Amino acid sequence: MKKKTSTIASLSVAIALGATLVSPGNAQEFGPVPKAEVDAAKAALGKRLFFDARLSGDSAISCSTCHNPEKGYADGLPLAKAYPGSDGFRNAPTLINAAQKAAWFHDGRLGTNLNDVTRESITETYSMNMDMRLMQERIKQDPVYVEMFAAAGYGEPSNGSVRKAIPEYLKTLTSRGAPFDAGEMTKAATAGFELFKGKAGCAQCHTGPRFTDDTPHNTAVPENPDIWSDPKRHLTYVTFASFMGIENFMNIRRDVGAHIRTHKVDGTDIGKFMTPSLRELSYTAPYMHNGMMASMEDVVAFYNAGGGDDPNKDARLKPLDLSTREQAELVAFLIALSGDPLTGDEFVWPEKVNVNYTPIEDWLNATN
Amino acid sequence: MKKGKTNPLVTFAASFGLMAFGLGTPAIADENPPLAALGLPSVPTDNAQTPEKIELGKMLFFDSRIGGDASVSCADCHAQKQGWGFNDSLSRGYPGVIHWRNSQTVINSAYLGKLFWTGSAKSLENQAPSAALGAVSGNGERDMVEARLAFIPEYVTRFNQVFGDEWPKVNNVWRAMAAFERTLIVNDTPFDNYMNGDKTALTDQQVRGLALFEGKANCIECHNGPLMTDQKYYNLGIDRAEEWFDNGMAQVTFRYEQYAKGVTEELYRKVKDDAGLYYRTKMTADMGKFRTAPLRYTAYTAPFMHNGKFFDFEEVVDFYNDGGGDNEFTDGTLASNKTPLLKPLNLTDDEKEDLVSFLDSLSGEELRIEIPQLPSYAPLPAVAN
Repeated sequence: MKKKTSTIASLSVAIALGATLVSPGNAQEFGPVPKAEVDAAKAALGKRLFFDARLSGDSAISCSTCHNPEKGYADGLPLAKAYPGSDGFRNAPTLINAAQKAAWFHDGRLGTNLNDVTRESITETYSMNMDMRLMQERIKQDPVYVEMFAAAGYGEPSNGSVRKAIPEYLKTLTSRGAPFDAGEMTKAATAGFELFKGKAGCAQCHTGPRFTDDTPHNTAVPENPDIWSDPKRHLTYVTFASFMGIENFMNIRRDVGAHIRTHKVDGTDIGKFMTPSLRELSYTAPYMHNGMMASMEDVVAFYNAGGGDDPNKDARLKPLDLSTREQAELVAFLIALSGDPLTGDEFVWPEKVNVNYTPIEDWLNATN
Repeated sequence: MKKGKTNPLVTFAASFGLMAFGLGTPAIADENPPLAALGLPSVPTDNAQTPEKIELGKMLFFDSRIGGDASVSCADCHAQKQGWGFNDSLSRGYPGVIHWRNSQTVINSAYLGKLFWTGSAKSLENQAPSAALGAVSGNGERDMVEARLAFIPEYVTRFNQVFGDEWPKVNNVWRAMAAFERTLIVNDTPFDNYMNGDKTALTDQQVRGLALFEGKANCIECHNGPLMTDQKYYNLGIDRAEEWFDNGMAQVTFRYEQYAKGVTEELYRKVKDDAGLYYRTKMTADMGKFRTAPLRYTAYTAPFMHNGKFFDFEEVVDFYNDGGGDNEFTDGTLASNKTPLLKPLNLTDDEKEDLVSFLDSLSGEELRIEIPQLPSYAPLPAVAN
């Protein structure tokens, strides 16, 4: 099953590459991110769950710990936090427009749907380390949830419905109000857009409304040394790597990226990471899968230099010879891709969710 | 080695006994194994005791990095200052939950054939992972345990020396812990000394209590042999835990256990007590049954019973004097499984005091050890790739 998925993934990579090489940027038209149709009651439930720390094993963290609305649904750190007792080895990606992705996580290891992404994030030992059977019973204990699940048409609270409600909430996190969409870009940004599509070649991968081809590439971003010098981060990576079947996982000192999907014997797929969306970058620094670049200027300078140093680097990355002014114009364009912050009651559960449990009255006579 | 040599003898003796007395005197077959001093526990042939392994197991027993969020170790629910158990009705469990059963002492667990209140683990090696990985106890995970240990150089060295592991293997964590637990033995109590021939080891009152234990009170019907348990399962009619009435977190765990242990939805909806052995066998006849508890070291392990219902010996003795109790697995609500062995005992107040006094003789000195120094994480050496 897994092998079959990988083959399909490789095939679509090949197709995407073929298409972009022939006519860069035309794989998908640029434009506003389409708004998803959302069921208000299900999304409201998902919103409360998203901010509820009882969804993690020891009730210490919620989804919003690493996907903070005030930081563009990322966390502002180079490497994300993780479940207590472990520590992150990748940058927390924004969840804005995440519902539109074709594959999730920086290595794209889940190419199914947000239901699976929700399950993985809640149950994985280094993210929320939750036994979902226990989670279900925690949620059932909260009268607010009992009402909200019923109102959402889910009946009684269940872990299956949690995995539907959180994705429904994530569908509400759609970019809006970006100068690019409103046709209100500055002259510099407009010039930057032309460079983006032309001389700078960004649009070879950053295409479509979200500015991503949703496929992995090797741009040779430098390794983040903190992963390998900090035992808590490194051991978290080892936990991940051993589970993912990476050979020789005790002796590698690099994040193999999408190699976990394709497992090529010659290792030419090592170091590929999903092209990130360029939406909402103003809120989500630092950048890249490992947070190695602090600013948009750094990122543009990185590509102007032709990317990093790696034998498997994508052959299309070459020095761009952009002038200082052209680099500034590209940054101006990138800034024009950030819209209104998705904060306030529409997106954020208005009060802190109480992690204590109210006893059920007349428990003896209540149906479990 | 020892086991292989002993077994044929036992078998031989048993068949001889049957041949000689079996037909004519059936009462012999029903005889309870006699009380006796506690000897040494047997050691599985595939997990020999060595000082290095025991030391490693001791460190791991106290190391919270085995647990999910690195905040709880075995020693949190099996605390040496709390009789190597936990002195509340229900064990504390993992952060964010409360457990649903009383934490049992580790002392003398080496002698038990099966572990946990319903015997769900067949060995100490098998018990450790259930406790370390279960959602309401340690909530750890095997890959993470191995990864954490690999970053603790002293453990890497010790696992290599003890087990030959290149990197610490999680199954060897359980082996080392079991080896350590086999050293937590108390077999020099006043009762042991008495049975070994020191007739001054018990007071007169305790000797009277012993006679009641074996006679009028008939405790020995189940609490027999050197460990004072037949290791069988009974429903005594103990009432449900108080916590389930007024503690929301305990109600959560109660339902989780029904779910996790795979009962039918019908039972999940209506059960209001711990169905005990039923979760293993799924037979109505096993509802509400729990293993006879060993009575050793009990001076330090209150509260008693699977849900910590009784806080002192007096309450326990009163319970049995009344002929046990009733619960939904005895009164016909879900089953009618109360053991017929329990009947009102009509003990006088003096007799009850004698029994309690005898129970006091089963614990001896408190077993305390020095908590080991735990080694730190360190980065792995750089590798070019």
